[in-house]
Amino acid sequence: MNGFLTNRILSDVLYGITNGVTIGLVALCLVLIWRSTHILNFAQGPMAMFVTYIGLTQMDHGLGFWPAALICMVVGFLFSGLTERLIVRPLYNKAEINPIVVMVGFFTVLEAVATAIWTNIPRYPVAPFSSINFQAGGSPTALSPLAVFQIVLAVGAMALVTVLFNYTKLGLQLRASALAPEVAKLLGVRVNRLLTLGWSIAGVVGAVAAVVVAINPSGMSPSMMDGIFILGFVAAAIGGLESPLGALVAGVSMGILMQFINDYWNSNYADLVAVLILIVVLMVRPQGLFTKNTARRV
Amino acid sequence: MLRHTTTLQRILLSVLGGAIAIGITFFLSGSNNQLLALATAYAITILGLSFLTGWSGQISLGHSGFMAIGGYVTALWLQHFSSTPMVLTLILATAAAAVGGVIMGLPATKLRGPYLAGMTLAFAVALPQLPESLGPWAGGSQGIPLQTPTAPHWFANVVGGGPLAIIATNYQYDAIVGILVCTVAFFIVSNLFASKTGRAMRLVRDNDVAAELVGLNLPRTRTLAFAISAGLSGLGGAVFAYMNGTVSPASFPYVLSISLVTYMVLGGMGTLQGAVYGGLLAVYATQITNWISNTVGIDPNSNFGLNFQNILFGGLLIVTMITAPRGLAGLIHLLKGLVQKQMSKQRQ
Amino acid sequence: MIKVANLNVSYGAVKALRDVSFEAPSGAITAVLGANGAGKTTLLRTISALVEPQSGQIFLDERNLVGMRPEAIARLGVAHVPEGRGVIGEFTVDENLRLGAIAHKVTLAEGIAEQFELFPILKERRKQYAATLSGGERQMLAVARAMIAQPTVLLLDEPSLGLAPKVTFDIMTTIRQLCESRKLTVLLVEQNAKSALRIADFATVLHVGTAIASRPAAEVAADDSLREYYLGMPSS
Repeated sequence: MNGFLTNRILSDVLYGITNGVTIGLVALCLVLIWRSTHILNFAQGPMAMFVTYIGLTQMDHGLGFWPAALICMVVGFLFSGLTERLIVRPLYNKAEINPIVVMVGFFTVLEAVATAIWTNIPRYPVAPFSSINFQAGGSPTALSPLAVFQIVLAVGAMALVTVLFNYTKLGLQLRASALAPEVAKLLGVRVNRLLTLGWSIAGVVGAVAAVVVAINPSGMSPSMMDGIFILGFVAAAIGGLESPLGALVAGVSMGILMQFINDYWNSNYADLVAVLILIVVLMVRPQGLFTKNTARRV
Repeated sequence: MLRHTTTLQRILLSVLGGAIAIGITFFLSGSNNQLLALATAYAITILGLSFLTGWSGQISLGHSGFMAIGGYVTALWLQHFSSTPMVLTLILATAAAAVGGVIMGLPATKLRGPYLAGMTLAFAVALPQLPESLGPWAGGSQGIPLQTPTAPHWFANVVGGGPLAIIATNYQYDAIVGILVCTVAFFIVSNLFASKTGRAMRLVRDNDVAAELVGLNLPRTRTLAFAISAGLSGLGGAVFAYMNGTVSPASFPYVLSISLVTYMVLGGMGTLQGAVYGGLLAVYATQITNWISNTVGIDPNSNFGLNFQNILFGGLLIVTMITAPRGLAGLIHLLKGLVQKQMSKQRQ
Repeated sequence: MIKVANLNVSYGAVKALRDVSFEAPSGAITAVLGANGAGKTTLLRTISALVEPQSGQIFLDERNLVGMRPEAIARLGVAHVPEGRGVIGEFTVDENLRLGAIAHKVTLAEGIAEQFELFPILKERRKQYAATLSGGERQMLAVARAMIAQPTVLLLDEPSLGLAPKVTFDIMTTIRQLCESRKLTVLLVEQNAKSALRIADFATVLHVGTAIASRPAAEVAADDSLREYYLGMPSS
């Protein structure tokens, strides 16, 4: 049994899940914004990064981990909503490349401002969980208390979002505003506010994802979300960009696959494999693996 | 974009533009000619990017990747067949990048939305990681050196630089070679835009239904557009390799893709002039930033000063896209109109 | 009561409505008739503020609706069943109905029960996705979703579109019943003039953006020239 727990394959799966839930969170964040406003938020990584740095400065001022994490989420909520109001709103009903280009510009500005304020020297915020792996019969397993915390945090965020969207009045209005904004308006739903709220909720999910990345033993830096954003996009696109569950499943699968590539082959090939998988998936099923055919309106 | 021109007019315009640009090189310092040579590489790449946007309304965040393909194919080929004429190497690099474009474009161009942008970004992130692991033939993180074009004797004689000015003469020669390649690329693209398919694509750029009504096979036309776009970027990468004298993963980081989009938009997307302005911006961005830093009084070595270029150009990109999406080319067009109006008023 | 005065709407250079004026009295069905492209849908969309008019007024009783947001107008009790019915296919029947009540101070359970009584078939289908319903069922769902908010004004855009004559007949009869039992003000846009005139009290005929006649429905039905030239109904 102990041998099984420290087995190389199982270890890879566990490490993969730990990374995969973060990829899933980033993908979920992309899906939320895509569903509500049909914009792929290319600045999402730096937006979440920025928010975590604000939390970090609070920790520098002596604040504990939990209040700082809470601050990250609140700031993420406000920052993302504000972004929708000020930068994204003028772009609705414009050609599809306009929001892409603007968000790419926002990406550049945010990373540059963050580097200007906080430099690109990595920082290591400490979560109140040990990163030393659990032991099983004298040898380490692939899970640490920190990893368990990361998984719980990510899965918890995902569950909350699912409940909010599928089982509450607010969720019903959010979904209606995204699917049929005009019809929702005719029924008295205040669609504009809900679009902002959709971005805000995605901002909180993004903040959770960035906190999970920041407390990794490898630390945080202004470009910390770039790599994971790419994998998050691939996961979201494989899931079909519309499906939160698809984003999660694809994200975790990606995490495990990447871990196997790192362990058995070469980590430099991981991103390329991800791109190739995306190409193949989109060739076979352009609507993604988790989106019903009817729901996709091209 | 030269919408109502005949082939003859386009030939004359290209020759004239190329000749003026070559004339300018005689008045530039060696270092400016060196930058101009690199600018031609970026201008061709941005032309490719601009072609995609102007033709199919899509955008790529991965053109640094196609530049990398073009650059590496050139360097690797010359390592083994160093006597290959430049024209052949350039064609080879273009073709290789175009093949890459077809592979990337096949699934993404079938889909609306930001798939192409996201996929190409992922591709641009993935590609520069490869040389380190592919083995010594790929040059690793050090990259692969190659011979920059050297001015032949007759050219040195014409310019009359003498032995002391040999470096400046070489830079000028490089710039002229770049300008010639650039002129050919721009001429070809202007013809594509003026073609029947080009006109149809512009008409229906944002309207799939209309496209089918006029009988266009949209996925195929888009894939073709993407392949041509990627090919042009490969050509840009090849010219870059020649002018830079070396290619390495650091020559083509994924942030270069983002910069390319930035300079394309600031220059004016979907236009030929815009690509020229964009190429020049790409090489002079640092100087422009330093000039502004000095004027405003920002310490270039402070943390803020070191990141000022990205803040400046990222900010400009957002503002341009929201307020004046036609960029510098649109602005110059507007000013030209105003001046003409004033002049006609004065004549009356 | 809905009163429209000197309404002008254009899409770019195209004038969709020119100086349209008419009144839809309370507790009655006013049919808006005319050929394709006459401006009927534009009229309803302008009343709901989905389209902004160049000039003119729209009154709900004494209140001018021009300049208000669509969701605010909906909250005043103006229910609009748009062209193509506007049911959300990705939602279940239940979710569609719940969405209908969401912005209004009404008791959901009671409202749903009431609609199920009126449209029993919806009760059978309540867990199904709206995309799986037939055209007639979708129209019923759209009307039920509008009625659950207990509106005072009901704007209906081509309810008969794509429905079999028998289904159209039933829907029209239901609309008549609703109008009478709830004292509803109904504005019924229809290309199918015959079905609409059967239940309407008044009728306005639109022709390329201009209101050429506003009279009691029976008079319009009896006017041979209107019937022939504008409504495509050969004289009997």
